[in-house]
Amino acid sequence: MEKNTFLHVRHISKTFPSVKALDNIEFVVKAGEVHALIGENGAGKSTLIKILAGVYEPDLGAEIEIEGSRIEKLNPITSVRHGISIIFQDFSLFPNLTVAENIAMGGALESGSAVVKWNQMREVAKKAVSKLGVDISVDVRLGTLSIAKQQLVAIARSLASQAKLIIMDEPTSALSKGEVELLFKIIRGLQADGIAVVFVSHKLEELFEVCETFTVLRDGKYIGTYPAAEMDNTKLISLMVGRNVEFERLSGKNIGETILEVKNLTKAGNFKDISFELHKGEILGITGLVGAGRTEVVQALFGLNKPDSGEIILNGAKVNINSPEEAVKLGLAFVPESRQTEGLVLRQSMRDNIVLPILSTLTKRSGLIDHGALGDEADKWIKEINVVPAVPDMLAGQFSGGNQQRIVIGKWLATHPKLLIIDEPTNGIDVGAKSEIHRLLRSLADQGMGIIMISSELPEVLALSDRILVMRRGRINGEFEGATADSESVMNKAFLADNKVG
Amino acid sequence: MKQWVKTKEFMVLVIVLTVIAIVSIGNPTAFLTTENIFDIIKSNLVLAIAAMGMLPIMLTGGIDVSVGALMGSASVLSAQFMINVTDNIPLAFVAGAISGIVLGSVNGFFVSKLKMPPIVATLGTMSVYQGMMSYITNGNWISNIPTNFVEFGKGYLFGIIPVQTFFLVAMAVLTWWILKYTFIGRGVFAIGGNTVSAERIGYNVQRIQFLLYAFSGFASGIAAVVRTSIFGQVDPKTFTGFELKVIGAVVVGGASVSGGYGSVMGTLFGVALMGLLENGMILLKIPTFWQKIMIGMIILFAVSIDFVRARRANAKQLKVDVA
Ligand SMILES: Nc1ncnc2c1ncn2[C@@H]1O[C@H](COP(=O)(O)OP(=O)(O)OP(=O)(O)O)[C@@H](O)[C@H]1O
Ligand SMILES: [Mg+2]
Repeated sequence: MEKNTFLHVRHISKTFPSVKALDNIEFVVKAGEVHALIGENGAGKSTLIKILAGVYEPDLGAEIEIEGSRIEKLNPITSVRHGISIIFQDFSLFPNLTVAENIAMGGALESGSAVVKWNQMREVAKKAVSKLGVDISVDVRLGTLSIAKQQLVAIARSLASQAKLIIMDEPTSALSKGEVELLFKIIRGLQADGIAVVFVSHKLEELFEVCETFTVLRDGKYIGTYPAAEMDNTKLISLMVGRNVEFERLSGKNIGETILEVKNLTKAGNFKDISFELHKGEILGITGLVGAGRTEVVQALFGLNKPDSGEIILNGAKVNINSPEEAVKLGLAFVPESRQTEGLVLRQSMRDNIVLPILSTLTKRSGLIDHGALGDEADKWIKEINVVPAVPDMLAGQFSGGNQQRIVIGKWLATHPKLLIIDEPTNGIDVGAKSEIHRLLRSLADQGMGIIMISSELPEVLALSDRILVMRRGRINGEFEGATADSESVMNKAFLADNKVG
Repeated sequence: MKQWVKTKEFMVLVIVLTVIAIVSIGNPTAFLTTENIFDIIKSNLVLAIAAMGMLPIMLTGGIDVSVGALMGSASVLSAQFMINVTDNIPLAFVAGAISGIVLGSVNGFFVSKLKMPPIVATLGTMSVYQGMMSYITNGNWISNIPTNFVEFGKGYLFGIIPVQTFFLVAMAVLTWWILKYTFIGRGVFAIGGNTVSAERIGYNVQRIQFLLYAFSGFASGIAAVVRTSIFGQVDPKTFTGFELKVIGAVVVGGASVSGGYGSVMGTLFGVALMGLLENGMILLKIPTFWQKIMIGMIILFAVSIDFVRARRANAKQLKVDVA
């Protein structure tokens, strides 16, 4: 059966003062289809989505047709009225409001009434949450929920609207495997109801699992739209980046003395009996399912999560790390997972963001800040992490999601840590650039840094780690040599209990 | 119930009750008398009414440091209106409200249309309003307020409650209702939580901001006339520094300085705390400079609680089901 066209946009361009983010884009979405919108970091996906949301106004000459009729101008209210609902890359939720209000406010606003009907809003929200099949009370403040739950609330919000098209900008970056499965089930349900879904993700397996159609953008240009049947990994990647990409295995060259030793680290409700060593020049991969306690362990190392018992020995001396400040003083750096929602001052320039943690170290003899040295330092890291566009004065908030992530990484590297902890290093980073980040981490290790990398992406763990720890339910369930590990045995340790722990 | 105990409002209430306990033990005969209690209420009504206007602004993360000067101007303008145009009492309040709204709208224009940082914009207008006030009064008291208005100000409801209490109750209910039950009010919280997101779901952020500053002007205008009714005269000098008290009461009442959190109830408790402390310290004969130091420390304490709480909330999010 031929599906009807729901949305057809043509000649969409968007010029920002510094870049042309979109250049004459065409995009067609059919009713009830699941459509992947893909491209590298900065390709223009989020910008296109914001135009459809009525948040950005496109350049002159844009043509927008919804269900066959021409739309002159979209704003956030009319966009909702035409049946478009968006899950933004940064969630766009309100931490100070209840879950109910977060979910139902958009729809209530659209109805045009001036007075709030609380009971009705709660009902709408409850229905959306139960449709999602998760256990979240609608009466708690959003800010008290974990990032994953907040992501689910963002999804519930779009389910609550009477949308005919739901656009999801990287909806899975904060979700666990089980939650992603749940989302896919819901997407299939929406599809059966004739609701179209546009899905943005850098995780290609996900795209192949649910999407029927692929539209590819590259550098703000429209490359083409293809049915899933004609697509495979290699073809998709070469369309996105214009070349082939494969993770190469990067092993350590000069692994030296022990810099960190962790003994029987335990925290009730978090992790138990965690012991491992990290050497100079080594990349230690920690993997396992989301929620296995990996992040909690490294937070303990960084003074963010005080353990109940156990020892941390740094360069041969026992240390007690009570705060991130102390950790930084000891030469540690921690790049958190949720870089999208923490870690950047969006209204300051990229340069200022990068040098923020090292301001006090780069002072002249007079005690004044040495702006020249700061600028040089920032420029160096901007080049290393390859931010596009490489304009130090651009505000952090004006970079694409993936490029913001790179800025956060750069900011921590600028502290010249001896021990770098990095949580999901390529979260939100496009496939082409993942290997760039890998090479960067490896070269840092080769220069003598010790790196602890948490990652859920097995190919990444296998390509980059010298040693691999697998965590399961708060314990270390397996340890492998990076050179000889294979994906199947690592997966087994992540999923299955093992009596001989070690 | 348990939820309620954890709120900042509850904390402030506990502190208010503690202060009452301490002061009444220290001075059993003077403090807990009906007379003194209504005295305290009467002398803090003006602060409370103005705070109702400040609260929504602070909920969006903004601030209005011109309230003191604005109130002074509205006092002078409404007094002139009473003296020169009509001694009709309701019209006196209308005159105060309108002058407040006009001056508040000027603030609103600078903040919402010209997108100036609120503190800069209202610092500027503060100076303008102060100048305006001195120009009209030459720095002199206005004491020829119509007698019927002065008499009205001495009146009591049910023979015991000062009439001015009515305006506070009305203003508090109005503010509470707007914040809780109108989309403009919910927009105020949304803007305080995340301005960009508020825009994205369709709030007209500019319009809401404009309205809030106008509303703060309205509240200050009413407060100005209420004040005239209490004192029976206008002294242009007494308005200097009043903004600090208003902002202090809102912050002490649990509103977050960065926006998003706060309530009418909390703000009223905040006013009560500030008022009680002032009254209590006078009764306990604590020197003025100590009073000032105490008030400042309480404001600092209230603000620091915010930051401590934010940290705790972060720490709580870690939880794993250990095998
Ligand atoms: N407000 C803005 N001001 C200036 N430039 C902007 C702004 N928003 C986006 N851009 C630029 O537009 C380009 C496209 O960004 P966009 O966010 O659409 O990328 P994306 O495809 O969503 O990437 P990612 O996968 O990293 O999220 C980038 O070069 C970005 O820096
Ligand atoms: Mg994006």
